[in-house]
Amino acid sequence: MPQATRDIKRRIKSVRNTRKVTKAMEMVAAAKMRKAVSNVLATRSYSRLAWELVRNLARRTDSQYHPLLEKRDQIKKIGMVLITSNRGLCGGFNNQIINRVAKYIRQQKEEVGIEADLVIMGKKGREAMFKQGHTVIAEFKKLDITNMIHEIRPLSNLIINDYLERKYDKVMIAYTDFVSTLVQKPRILELLPIESKVEDEYLGQAKIGDLKVEQPAETKLQSTELEYLFEPSPDEVLSELFPRLLEMQIYQAILESDASEHSSRMVAMRNASDAAADMIDDLTLMFNKARQALITAELADISGGRIAME
Amino acid sequence: MPKIKFKIVTPEKVVLEDEIDQITLPTKMGEITILPNHIPLVSSLKPGEILIKKEGREIPMVTSGGFAEFTANSLVILADTAERAEEIDEAEAEEARKRAEELLQRKGKATEEAIDYTALAAKLEKELARLKVARKYRRHRPPKPTIRLEE
Repeated sequence: MPQATRDIKRRIKSVRNTRKVTKAMEMVAAAKMRKAVSNVLATRSYSRLAWELVRNLARRTDSQYHPLLEKRDQIKKIGMVLITSNRGLCGGFNNQIINRVAKYIRQQKEEVGIEADLVIMGKKGREAMFKQGHTVIAEFKKLDITNMIHEIRPLSNLIINDYLERKYDKVMIAYTDFVSTLVQKPRILELLPIESKVEDEYLGQAKIGDLKVEQPAETKLQSTELEYLFEPSPDEVLSELFPRLLEMQIYQAILESDASEHSSRMVAMRNASDAAADMIDDLTLMFNKARQALITAELADISGGRIAME
Repeated sequence: MPKIKFKIVTPEKVVLEDEIDQITLPTKMGEITILPNHIPLVSSLKPGEILIKKEGREIPMVTSGGFAEFTANSLVILADTAERAEEIDEAEAEEARKRAEELLQRKGKATEEAIDYTALAAKLEKELARLKVARKYRRHRPPKPTIRLEE
């Protein structure tokens, strides 16, 4: 076979192999995505109610009852939890959140002179943040799919302890909110101190299909602005409740990120497979044209030769 | 009499959402009963029975701990786990209790880490609560047809 057609054939073959790989990765991502999405949807109502409770408590309870409620006048340092993925090939998933965080940190530094330390989950985030020269104080191993809440306990303990020791005066969490398979939104939320003023800051506020996460009922709050009665005692209840519910919040953020990562990877791989299929079509057409051109040329040669003979 | 808007959720799902007349909760201090127009309350729960009353009917449930918040006639329970009493498989609960007890005894002898011991003790307490509620409400259910063999 002459050079032109052989080259094209070789390319078709290599593209076909690539498509096989991306197709397989799409399938794997789809299976993981289903798991991750069902996890994230299941815990959403719990975590939303939990955060509502934390907010209500913050609003109505005397801040002396618990150190996590205390307002700090001066913010010197921010602790930032960044949740990324371990592996790439998932579209803009990592870049989006990393850029957002990098921009936020730069802004804080330039405008108010507040430094930020990073606590990272996921290899991709660590690599990017190291390269940009940010301070990373801890990196936690990220599981492909986080299942149990106790898997993230070390992370939440670190954060809460550092906050209580006044290493940080503010703790933020950067994660990717799962809206739908096609849409994921990177977000940066304030975790600590617990404040009650920002109203829209719930995790996983997104709507999915017919499942609507309803907006917090604001009417509920204005009717009784009384202080809560605690059973057995404020100290006992709060010291158990705050760490648990904060942990829940971090857990939910990780689940959101998990679901986002896998859906984003699935979509990226689907696009790659589709692109490969298009490329194969184009190349096949090119191949056929080249082959036909070759035959035509050969025929012309033969008939040209015959005419010369006569 | 106003009703209480009641919702009990676990990390897995919303177990029950209803309008109820009164509810009894197992708090760390002991049982408390909440009626409509109670003052705002936050409480941490221990493993035990939750008893709901609605229009003369009783709905027993069991929880393994969590938190309860009551404000403006709306009660939210954030439970670690929660089950309706009729959903508990008694045999399975008994089995789980035995397992927990055994583990606990083995741990007690070997004097292992204290953390494990407390975790096991908590597990045992949870299983006991489940079993107690299951037993208590067994008679409300129609008995299962059983074939008894002569001995």
